[in-house]
Amino acid sequence: MTSHAQRALDALKASATQRAVAHSDMTRIVVQVGHCSAAVGADQVAKALASQVPDSSYIVTTGCDGACYDAPRVVVTSPDGARSTFSGVKTEHVGRILGSSGLPTQYESADPYVGQHRIVLDGCGEIDPTSLDEYLLAGGYSGLASALAKPQEKVIDEVKASGLRGRGGAYFPAGMKWESARKFPSPDRYLVVNCEEGEPGIFKDRHLMEGMPHRIIEGALIAAYAAGVHSIYIYINAEADLSTERMKQAVDQAARAGIIGEDVLGSGYNVSVTLRRGAGGYVCGEETTLLNTMEGDRREPRLRPPFPTEAGLFGRPTVINNAETLASVPVIMAHGAAAFAETGSEKATGTKVISLSGALERPGVVEVPMGTTLREIVFGLGGGIIGGKAIAGVAVGGPSSGILPDSMLETAIAPGMLHESGVMLGAGGVIALDENVDVLEAVRSLAKYNADESCGKCTPCREGTPRMVDALDRLLSGAGSPGDLDELRGLAEVVGAASLCGLGQAAGGPINSALHFFGDELAALAKG
Amino acid sequence: MADRTQRNELRATLRERFPRERSQLLPALQYIQDEHGYLPGWAMEVAGWHLGIPSSEVYGAATSYTELSTSEPASHVIKICTGLGCRANGSLELLERTKQELDSADDGNVAVEEVPCGYMCAVAPVAKWDHDWIGRATIDDLKAIAREATSI
Repeated sequence: MTSHAQRALDALKASATQRAVAHSDMTRIVVQVGHCSAAVGADQVAKALASQVPDSSYIVTTGCDGACYDAPRVVVTSPDGARSTFSGVKTEHVGRILGSSGLPTQYESADPYVGQHRIVLDGCGEIDPTSLDEYLLAGGYSGLASALAKPQEKVIDEVKASGLRGRGGAYFPAGMKWESARKFPSPDRYLVVNCEEGEPGIFKDRHLMEGMPHRIIEGALIAAYAAGVHSIYIYINAEADLSTERMKQAVDQAARAGIIGEDVLGSGYNVSVTLRRGAGGYVCGEETTLLNTMEGDRREPRLRPPFPTEAGLFGRPTVINNAETLASVPVIMAHGAAAFAETGSEKATGTKVISLSGALERPGVVEVPMGTTLREIVFGLGGGIIGGKAIAGVAVGGPSSGILPDSMLETAIAPGMLHESGVMLGAGGVIALDENVDVLEAVRSLAKYNADESCGKCTPCREGTPRMVDALDRLLSGAGSPGDLDELRGLAEVVGAASLCGLGQAAGGPINSALHFFGDELAALAKG
Repeated sequence: MADRTQRNELRATLRERFPRERSQLLPALQYIQDEHGYLPGWAMEVAGWHLGIPSSEVYGAATSYTELSTSEPASHVIKICTGLGCRANGSLELLERTKQELDSADDGNVAVEEVPCGYMCAVAPVAKWDHDWIGRATIDDLKAIAREATSI
C-alpha cells in the first residue's frame, strides 16, 4: 500500500520530471562554487561563464566535489552524457571551455572519488543545491516519505539498528538520543541542527551545507518526526554566509513544496524550521553553550545533568545533532539499516567525512568508511606530502585531540580515542605536517588555541590553559626545566578533571600526546 | 554618543524586527553589528531596553563572542589565518610580511590581525580583506587588493 507521504512525494517528483525535460537536450555546465573555491576565483568563473553561455547550454552553480586542490572546477556534460572536467579554471579559460564542450578534458586529474565511499557527500558538486527538483530526481526525500509512513518507534529502531553515532565528535548513538528526548514527558520538544563547526581544521559541514543542503534538512525532518519534535532550529556558524544562504533557500523551497510546515507531505505531521547564526568561538559548538547562545546568554556551557534531551532549549527536551549525522539518516530510511551497516568497521558503521589539510598534495573533503587507516587517508586520498617531503606527524581531531607521529599512520579511524594519550577522531579533521614544521610548535599552537578560546567559566580551564602555554614557551625558548614537564602533566590532568565542557576536559590532549610521542624531544628541552 | 533620534529610530526598528524575547538578543546584536560595523554602547543599551535585558548582561553576552566587537574597527582589516593547516603552508611568513608591508593601524587605515582558523584549510594559506576571503594567498595578492582599496 502506498502511503500518503509517498503519494505526495511521487506527485512532486512527477512535476520535477516535467520541468527537467526543458534541459534534456542541452549541454550542462556545472561550476563548483563553495566558500573555499570562491576564495580562489570560482565565483568570477561562474559570472564569466554565465555572460557567455550559448543557447544550447545551461549553467548550474553547485557546491564543490571536495577536490579543493583543483578548485575552481567546471564539469561539462553534453546531452549524450560525455563529460569533461576542467580544473584550476580561471576567467580567461572560459572561452575555451565553452568552445570545447564534449571534447577531451583540458586537464584531467586523477578521479577524486577513487578510494572514497560517498553516502553523505553523494551529489556534492554534481547537483544544484538550490534546486529542490534536482534533489528529488536524485532520490531525495524518499527517506522522509518512508519514515513518515512508519510509527515513530520504528524509525528510531531502524536508526538504532544502523549503528549510527553522532559525527560531531562525541559519537553518541543517534537513535538513543532521539528516544530519550521522545520519552521525556513534555508539552514540546526541540531539535537543534548543530552546524556551528567552529573547530580549526574542520570545514566539512560547510561543504555539505553548500553542496547538499536538502540532505541535512531531510535528515533533520526524519529526526524531528521520530523524536516527537515540531520545531527545528538550524544553528549555523557566524562566518558561513554561503552555507546560510543555501540552507535558507533549501528550507524555503521545502516549505513551498509542503515538505516543511503543516501536514508534511500529507502525513498529518507538523514542523517548523528556523535558522539561527552563531557569533564566533570554538566553545559555541559545545551543545549546552549553543543552547545558552540561542537563549540570549553568554557563550558559556551549562552543568550536565540535566542533559539537553531532558532539559535543553528553553528548558524543554532537546535533541542536538551534528549536520553530518543527520545527513547520514536519509539513506538509512531509504535503503534500510542493514545496507548502511554494511559499510564501516566492527567498531563503527557507516562513513566519516574527513577535512583533509596541511602540507598535502591533494587537500580537500573526502568521505571514507569507518576503519580506514590514516595512511590511506593521508597518502592515498591526500596524495602525500607536498614535494615528496617526509611527514613529521598528523594532527587529528583538532585542538581537543593531539598529534600522532608517522609511526602511527596505520591507525584506523574509529569513534572515540585513536590512542590512549588522548588523540581522538573528533569531528574528523586531519592536518598533515611536513618535516619543516616543528611538531612541538604545532602542539603549542593547539594549546594556545585552547587558552584563547576558554570561555572563563571554570577556573581550572581559564587559569590552567594559559599556564600550559607558558610552560611550553619556557621549554621551546630554551629556558625549560624538568619541573615544566611535571607542571604540564599536572595541569593536563587537573584541567581535564575539573572543567564543565569538552574544551577544558580535552585541553590536555595535545599536551599528553606530545608527552607520549615526542617525550624525548621535550625531555631534551627540559634539560635546558 | 548618539542623539535621541538615533536611539528612537533603532528602537523602532528593533521593535519591528525582533519579538521581545531574550532569545532574540544575539540576532539583534548581529543586526546592529551589520548596520554599524560594530556594537556602539548606546545601541547595546537600546537593544537591552527593547528586550528587557539589563545593559550589563547585554554587554556581558556581547563581549563573550569573538565575532562581535564593541570598538570601532579600522577602515580596513586584513586577517591572516595561522591555524595548523595554514602554518603548514607558510602562513607565519605571510603574516610577518603583511605586518611589515601593509600594517597602518596606527593611522586607522589597515589593521593586520591573526585569526586562529578561517575554516578553508584546503586552500591554505588564507587571508581575509574586510569581508572577502582569499585562498592560496600571497603577499602580492594582498598588496594588489590594498593598492586598489586604499592609496598605499
